[in-house]
Amino acid sequence: MSELVRVDETTWEIPASARADMRVPARIFADDEILHEIEGDLSLEQLQNVATLPGVVGAAIAMPDIHQGYGFPVGGVAATELPDGIVSPGGVGYDINCGVRLLALPLSEPELGARREALVHEISRAVPAGAGKRGGLHLRGAALDDVLRDGPRALPGVRPDDIEHTESEGRLEGADPAAVSERARLRGRDQLGTMGSGNHFVEVQVVAEVLDRETAAAFGLEPGQVTVLIHSGSRGLGHQVCTDYVKLMDARLASYRIHLPDRQLACAPASSPEGRRYLGAMAAAANFAWANRQAIADEVRSAIATVLGKEVAEGTRQVYDVAHNVAKVEVHEGREVCVHRKGATRAFPAGSEEIPAAYREVGQPVFIPGSMGTASFVLAGEPGAMQRSFGTTCHGAGRRLSRTAARKRIGGGELRRQLEAQGIVVRCPSPKGLAEEAPFAYKDVDRVVRVVEQAGLARRVARLVPIGVIKG
Amino acid sequence: MYRFVEHTAELEVELEAGSPEGVLQEALRAFAELTGPGTGEPVERRVELEAPDRPALLAAWLDELLYLADAEGLVPEGADLTVDGTRVSGVLRARRGEPRPLVKGVTLHRLRFRSENGTWRGRVVLDV
Repeated sequence: MSELVRVDETTWEIPASARADMRVPARIFADDEILHEIEGDLSLEQLQNVATLPGVVGAAIAMPDIHQGYGFPVGGVAATELPDGIVSPGGVGYDINCGVRLLALPLSEPELGARREALVHEISRAVPAGAGKRGGLHLRGAALDDVLRDGPRALPGVRPDDIEHTESEGRLEGADPAAVSERARLRGRDQLGTMGSGNHFVEVQVVAEVLDRETAAAFGLEPGQVTVLIHSGSRGLGHQVCTDYVKLMDARLASYRIHLPDRQLACAPASSPEGRRYLGAMAAAANFAWANRQAIADEVRSAIATVLGKEVAEGTRQVYDVAHNVAKVEVHEGREVCVHRKGATRAFPAGSEEIPAAYREVGQPVFIPGSMGTASFVLAGEPGAMQRSFGTTCHGAGRRLSRTAARKRIGGGELRRQLEAQGIVVRCPSPKGLAEEAPFAYKDVDRVVRVVEQAGLARRVARLVPIGVIKG
Repeated sequence: MYRFVEHTAELEVELEAGSPEGVLQEALRAFAELTGPGTGEPVERRVELEAPDRPALLAAWLDELLYLADAEGLVPEGADLTVDGTRVSGVLRARRGEPRPLVKGVTLHRLRFRSENGTWRGRVVLDV
């Protein structure tokens, strides 16, 4: 794309002058190879579309794991100035507060030893996933309202340190259960504690490398330690909230004189009745998602207790839980803004009061799941994120191949054999679904995290490799 | 006719038929391929949907199928439909089952539903 201007080694910009409707520049964090991949789909056009949204400030920002989405690209960040800048449900996505939670077990891989396969198997039995395994908590009436309002706090027996080690302590302010439709409730009411399908997973991992010893120690991680990474979101409840409000805002665009290059960017001023109601429903769905990952973590702990004993389950600590599809009201450079993170993770640096006291001297933990055959990373937020990306970093490796293309290259059975040859135990109800998530369908996660480190958004703390994969 | 088109992360579906009702039938077939077959008892549901414009009607129809799959475990098998402008009414035939929860939402991105030289065409991107 000829309008791309290189700002420094890992930063590129498309100036606002590139298109008459852009209000701010589009900024991309990437190296040459990643940029080349990004240019292969519609990511940059979609990013420029985001730069047209009313009230957008600074820049429309793309992380190195960006790929083409619908409306917003995945890996996109946009901040709109409040009170009258817009909020866009499509800028959060259907899976509101999709995110990741990392648990650290009090034992090493050699100590786990031959019990590894039994542990993976037991987790796959304990966590309902994919089709037909409903098996979630059944929430009705006031119990569902409590979860929508209070998140994991509403679940029985939740450990205080789990709550403390969750972004926003698992509860977004302003959640309005009354703004969540009956359809959304009916879709979600039996799904709490279920993983879902697609790219969601639970992985058993080992800390293969510690890159920042002091920060890893603060996070309670050491070489050889066994961890469990949980990736899921708000299930049907959040999906329906997005559907409801995209439809509502699409119908009201003319009344707010908003003209959009893509209908899926449907939005309304955050201060409008539609904007306020969406923010209340979205916060409720986000709280539901945190409760969902909490319930899954409880299921994982119960599997650990079965295979490794109660003491190991009780000693399994939650390192942190981060959202990577959410809109949050934050203050940046003295302005109150609504930060849309669509496939992007908050990464606040050391000193922020928004992060738990135990981590305040090292920065907020961020988890970057790679593909199931490669590696995942633990990062820590850096000051550059506040200066350059509204306190945000990447969220994953980012897809580079479509699901069809992945299936054409490998069958589920063959991929399972390859992963097992690498020493990774695999449990997946759908061979087709497994093939769609093949490691080669994703960008090189090592390269993605090197870019965000070089750009000063987050620094690498530890590299985790999978030893067991449970797919939805 | 329906076919899935390459898209990096989501699923884009192209639909083609001789009538607007036919496009909605093709959308149903595409959706059913994603959920997997139903094996339980047959179920019929009366459907009445209205949208602000014709493309939004295609999205509303798929939203309905997605809701019934996710909330009630219904896998669609066929439908007798009548489209009148931006309204559709009729009877949906489904079967109880365990639909794969792959589709999260029906987006308005690149949404299309129109007649081109006597052929009705639809296009929709699904979030998966």
